[in-house]
This record gives sequence, structure tokens and C-alpha cells, in this order.
Amino acid sequence: MCSTQGVTEPRASESTLEFPYMRTTGPVIGPFLRALAQRKILGVRDRQGRVVVPPVEYDPQTGEALGEEMVEVGPEGTVEAWTWVAEPLEKHPLDRPFAFALVRPDGADTAMVHAVDAGDVAVMTTGMRVAARFSEEPAGRITDLAAWEPVRS
Amino acid sequence: MKQPVAVVGVGQTHFKKRRDDVSIAGLIREAIDRALLDAQMELSDIDAVVIGKAPDAFEGIVMPELYLAGALGAAGKPLLRVHTAGSVGGSTVIVAAHQVITGIHSRVLAVAWEKQSEGNAQWGLAGGRSRGIGAGGAFAPWMRAYIHDTKAPEHIGWQVAVKDRRVAAKNPYAHLKMPDLTIEEVSESPMLWDPIRFHESCPSSDGACALVIADERVAGSQSRTPAWIHGLSVRSELAQFPGRNPVRVRAGVECAHDVYDQAGITDPRREIDMAELYVPFSWYEPMWLEGHDIAGHGEGWRMVDTGETELGGAFPVNPSGGVLSTNAIGASGAVRFAEAALQVRGLAGEHQVEGARTALAQAYGGAAQYFAMGVFRSTPPE
Repeated sequence: MCSTQGVTEPRASESTLEFPYMRTTGPVIGPFLRALAQRKILGVRDRQGRVVVPPVEYDPQTGEALGEEMVEVGPEGTVEAWTWVAEPLEKHPLDRPFAFALVRPDGADTAMVHAVDAGDVAVMTTGMRVAARFSEEPAGRITDLAAWEPVRS
Repeated sequence: MKQPVAVVGVGQTHFKKRRDDVSIAGLIREAIDRALLDAQMELSDIDAVVIGKAPDAFEGIVMPELYLAGALGAAGKPLLRVHTAGSVGGSTVIVAAHQVITGIHSRVLAVAWEKQSEGNAQWGLAGGRSRGIGAGGAFAPWMRAYIHDTKAPEHIGWQVAVKDRRVAAKNPYAHLKMPDLTIEEVSESPMLWDPIRFHESCPSSDGACALVIADERVAGSQSRTPAWIHGLSVRSELAQFPGRNPVRVRAGVECAHDVYDQAGITDPRREIDMAELYVPFSWYEPMWLEGHDIAGHGEGWRMVDTGETELGGAFPVNPSGGVLSTNAIGASGAVRFAEAALQVRGLAGEHQVEGARTALAQAYGGAAQYFAMGVFRSTPPE
């Protein structure tokens, strides 16, 4: 017989997984990423003529292959919905209060979830105009699109 | 209520070490488009989609089914994902077939894939915690146990490798094609996990496989050459428990007897014309021949030794080149089912088994914990 008396039971065990992956981008996401490096945002026109941003390789409704017509959108856009982050955490995209928002770039028929660097919640309104802010050294990654900021009218 | 169902379309990508010409979405569409062409269908004809792949850690995309719904043409349709480790391609086909057998749907698309070049499968299997043992290292002691128990000579493993790599040259989709590989080259290749040498181990591939499964009304139309499904079974068990026999795995024995019973097979070695078995390491060919009661104890390696399992032999195993030649893990089980279906349809091309009327497909996964098996025939169930 074995006694467990006096043995301190571990109640949790830490686990950290890290691995660098490589993604093949294909004929639609590849051009999208290359355009970001040039501070441009590309969408793709779907079979019903709508512009999907970020672009997709296959029509969301019919599954048909897309990519024949890439469309530049933005650099400004409209906030369709938002939520204010008053106390950003370490993982958040900005280190000061900001909004997570659905931003529809001009010329696009879809909105993307992104950060609006508005400074103050009082600035935020649904329908407000924003402009893309790119990172200082864009490298062809999704993070090249750093944030959106209010357009001063 | 059970209904007769059949595979009416098969599509595979060309398997390679790295398919950097396509995204994951593009890769699976290559297989889907070929399966639909074979099935004389459009994406819009499909009622439901069932997909399978190995763990998300392989490519590092969490829940890829979410972003792939567009590429799968699944808008407005049921989309299910199956997950049974290395056997997943086989169980994906079985889940898809069940949706037709039960009368829920008429035409279901099964798709399985892996794009292993985007990550590292050995890392993905255990999140980097396997201490380098790898899949081969986990299976090596069981292969040793088989060799010890049956007194098999060591050239059997080399012979399986030569057979599969050579015949893969006849399969346009296979990854490793080595038509001139010799026993000497295999026996002199580096030892990876004793007793498995480099040429006795599967490669790491990018690729996808798709099958269209249809009901009797669709499959029975005159323009088609269906592979009728006569038996389907899945089984599972724990990797380790008191009394487990990891060489002759109980789940594998019972899975096999279940499909034989469904297909009315009492003497599998005589009544089955060919088999596509999941053989990632050479010794698993004789091990499964015995583990699925196709051969008696110690008879599996003798079937290999006498050339019975070669293309042209009495019981050809893996005329496609098998997992030893092509291994995009999630797809590998589906390829076994697709290749078995092609054989009874008479559409296997250069690696066609002459007169194949009844074919067995098998996939296994985990630490030989999951089994997925199917029996196909050129004629519908009576």
C-alpha cells in the first residue's frame, strides 16, 4: 500500500507551445499582402459584383474561383459598429484607449474588424469617417495595416 | 433504413514535398474539382460536405473549416469535420457515406487533406513534447515485437519498401516514385528507428483527396461506373491498457471482421482481390495482413516474401504506392478508399489490378488506436 499523506498535490502544470509556421498565400492573398507593403488595400470582386475585403480565393456564396479582378479600396472608410476598449491589455493592438470596430473601406462591400485609434470615446460615432494608418516599415504582412484613425473634417 | 450507396467520383492532387503553387484552399479545390469532373457534377449538385485533416497543429490554422467553407462550396449546406488522427481520411469518407446510407442526403462530398510543408508533423503530433521519438519511434518497438514473434527475416521490410516505391512510378499522383530502387539501396539507407530504415519510412507530403458519394438513384444511372460500398466500419481503443496487444490490435481485428461480415466475406484472402492498407512503415504491411486476419500468424511476411502482395500477385497490396510513397497525413486514409474505389471501377490506370471486383480499404491512426475500413465492389449489394 502507498500513502499519499504528506504529498503536496500539483494543481496545475504550465504549458507553452511555440512553433514557426510557413503559409503558402496563393493567387489572391499573395497580391493582397504585396499591396499592403505598398500601403494599398486590395479587395476581390465576387460573382455578384461585390468587393470582398480582405479578399477570398473562392466566392463565399457559389464557391467559384475568384481573383480575376482585384480592386483597390480605401484608404478611407466608414465605421459601421464599434466597442470601446478603455483599458487596453498587453495583447491589444494599441497601448492606449481605442475602439475595436467594423470598418468598411471605401469601395468595399464588407467591413473588417480592426482598431480605431480615436484617442477618446467621445470621438467615436457609428458612421464616422476613418483613414488607414500603415506601419512605418510595411513588410507585406497583415499587421502592415496598423490602425484606422479619425478623419478630421 | 440502409440504402445502397457508391463512390461515383474520385479526385486527387499531385502530391509533392511542397505545393507552394497553391494555398490550402487551392489545394483542396484541385482535388474537389477532379472528383466533381469524375462524378459529372457541379459544386452546386452537392448536398453536404464532410472534411477531415490531422491536428490543427500540423499547419497552425486553428479550425481551418471556418475559412475553407467558401472553397468547399459549403455556403448554405451542412459542413462537418471529422477528427480521428491518421485514420481521419478514412473515417471522413465513412461519415459522408453514412449521410447517404441513412437517406439524409443524395450526394455528399468527402474531402481530406494535409499541407505538411506549412509546419512540422513530428512537432505537431505532440506539440514539440515527443522528445524526438516521432511516429516511427513510437511504432518501432511493436514492429520489433512482430519480427520476434513471427521470426520474420529482416529483408521483408526492405522488400515492402521496394515494392511500394517502384509501383508508385505507375501512379501519376504519387509523391515518391523510385522505379529503380533496389533491396540493397533500402538495406543500406540510414537507420531511422530500428528496424525502420530511411527508405522504409513514409515521406511528408502536401496534397488532398476528394470523393463523391451518391445514393442508388444517382449511382445507378447508365453513364456511371460506381464503386459500390458493401461494408464500412470504424473502431477505437486506448493506446495502452493492461493486456493490450499493440501488434494484433483488437480494434483492428474487430473492425476488419465487421466489414467482412457486412460484405458477406468469410475468406478475405480468397474473396478480396486487392487491398489499400495504411502502411507508413514497411513492416506494417505484414502486420496488418495478420492483424486483419487476411493472413494467419506468421503468414503475412510470407505473403510479402513470395511476391503475393505485388501488383500482379494473388493479393496485391497498395498498388498505388501506398502511404510509403505518398503521405499527406489527413488525406492518406481517404486515398486508400479512393484507390480501392478506382480499382473496382477499373479506372486505376497503369496500376490497375486486373479483374479487381472486390477491394478493401483501411486506415489507422494514433498509436494504432483508430481504424476505418471499407469494402468496395463493382456490383451493387444484393
